[in-house]
Amino acid sequence: MSLAMDAAPAAALPRAQAALRERLATAVPWAGWIVLAALLALPLVGGSRYLVYLGTLIALEAALATSLNIVIGYAGQFAMSHAAFYGFGAYASALLITSLGLNFWLAVPAAMLLAGVIAAAIGYPALRYTGGVHLALITFAFGELARLLAANWDSLTHGPMGMRVTYSPAPFFGIDLSSGKGLYWLAAGMLLACLLVALCIQHSRFGRGLVAVREDETLASFLGINVVGYKLAAYVISSMLAAMVGCAYAPIMSFISPDLLSAQETISLIGVLILGGIGTVAGPIIGALVFFGIPELLRVARLYRLVVLGVVIVAVVLFMPKGIAGVLRDRAARWKRGVR
Amino acid sequence: MDLVQTLLDGLMVGGLYATVAIGVTLVFGIMGILNFAHGQMVMLGAYTAFFVVSAGLGFWPALVAGMVAMGALGFLLERLVFRHTLADHMQGLTASLGLIMVIENLAAAAFTPDPRTFDPPLPGSFQLAGLTLSSQRVLVLVLVVALVAACYLFLQKTRIGKAIRAMGQNRTGAALVGIRITQVTSVVFVLGSAMAGAAGVLYGSLFAITPYMSAAPLMKGFILTVLGGLGSVPGAVFAGFLLGIAESLGSRYLSASFRDGYGFILLIVALLYFPRGLFGGRGKVRV
Repeated sequence: MSLAMDAAPAAALPRAQAALRERLATAVPWAGWIVLAALLALPLVGGSRYLVYLGTLIALEAALATSLNIVIGYAGQFAMSHAAFYGFGAYASALLITSLGLNFWLAVPAAMLLAGVIAAAIGYPALRYTGGVHLALITFAFGELARLLAANWDSLTHGPMGMRVTYSPAPFFGIDLSSGKGLYWLAAGMLLACLLVALCIQHSRFGRGLVAVREDETLASFLGINVVGYKLAAYVISSMLAAMVGCAYAPIMSFISPDLLSAQETISLIGVLILGGIGTVAGPIIGALVFFGIPELLRVARLYRLVVLGVVIVAVVLFMPKGIAGVLRDRAARWKRGVR
Repeated sequence: MDLVQTLLDGLMVGGLYATVAIGVTLVFGIMGILNFAHGQMVMLGAYTAFFVVSAGLGFWPALVAGMVAMGALGFLLERLVFRHTLADHMQGLTASLGLIMVIENLAAAAFTPDPRTFDPPLPGSFQLAGLTLSSQRVLVLVLVVALVAACYLFLQKTRIGKAIRAMGQNRTGAALVGIRITQVTSVVFVLGSAMAGAAGVLYGSLFAITPYMSAAPLMKGFILTVLGGLGSVPGAVFAGFLLGIAESLGSRYLSASFRDGYGFILLIVALLYFPRGLFGGRGKVRV
């Protein structure tokens, strides 16, 4: 791509054609939403148990990636504790429901609240300084600590053998959530909730402030943005959402173990984000579809699947740092301007 | 007596941590490359030693082989991946996360997940002033001190060591006075990886080797680098011994199954009260 071609003005196109391209390019996000709605509604028309189950898993991962995107993609802060909060949500809700007899829909906000308090306590010492390395290290350390705690606190968590979950979530406004399809709707609902929060943040003053913090913390502070507060808020919101998705994980898998909290889970989520496109709305969903959907359909052994995914992560970082959604967006923008 | 014994045990394990921490200090503290795959090099170094010792060549060739092999791997990784991510911390971090998945799962496929051990060169233990000391642990401590001293002298006295420290202070400034940035980066990466290999060999002479053994040494290496003050070699070594002692006291008097947790608590507390680490190091900016 030569410089001269980059600089070619949009006026090189006839006006009518330019208007058409403009309209088509703005339609791309809408097309994306329609595709997502169609994908989510697929089980309405049918599909085998296996497909519904696969869809449930992908929806959960996409919800997690979407929530992680708030802190990594928008705020630019490398939090490595996402799986820990995911697992925390699963354990906390399961314990609240089985030992305190709480309703599922009360346990979810309770687990989220607890997760938010913990995230604030962990995030504050780590986020006071710029550079992001402190946060990556402290959150990694916290994640490992949480996993060790879950594995060793036998009387509460049943230790490394894990816990069996026998309850199913109470009906949600008359929708039965106990069957396979019901659990799929639960996962899809979690994804939509995370998407809603992400969209609200992206289109708010808060979201624009986060992007400013990501681009230049010093400059952001000159603009009157409370940098530490913004970073902390992004981390807390993202961790609370992870706990919320974790609440859905427990009844869907009907089994939770300390492995859920391992750093490997967070690493693969970051892989999903990088692959799909960090800081974009569509990125986490595209990433989750590619990362978890395609290997499942190709039926590769788990070991080699992870090797291939590792190679993909490295290759994407080196050759396509903006991810699939980022490349698509750039392509659309260039095409609109009439630049090939 | 019991307390002294526990302290000594901690000191010996701490030496191992210090070796990993020096590698991380060089690559991350000085070069600013967040290579999470450093732990994988510890693991591969241990496997190299296992295969060399199993072939009947003995411990010393194994130590050399582990360091050379990991140095070579470090050279390759720097050329192929990390040289291209120097401008962006997070890009390097993500690439290293991908490398972890590749190396760990390939190792699990090639070496099988069964734990392996090899015979240490000095088996048994001896008595000294009423204390029981494992010969191999004492040897490891001596080797660690030798490696640390060699590394420190290299950084302080040689021309290239000075170039490395100059780059650690200010990369642009170093380039302006004629230091070849790419060459020095390569040297640092090879050196750091060789230290990881050495740590792996020493690890393997004390503990079981598995493809999944790398998480604990890696995390401890990073914790110590931050705890000691980014880029400070003496700081990392001091923090290494401190962590070894803390773990050994904690598992003796509190709970052994929580052993790996004490370091994380130490890190969180240290970052709250000493955000620049124990030995100062490069400052962090507060906005």
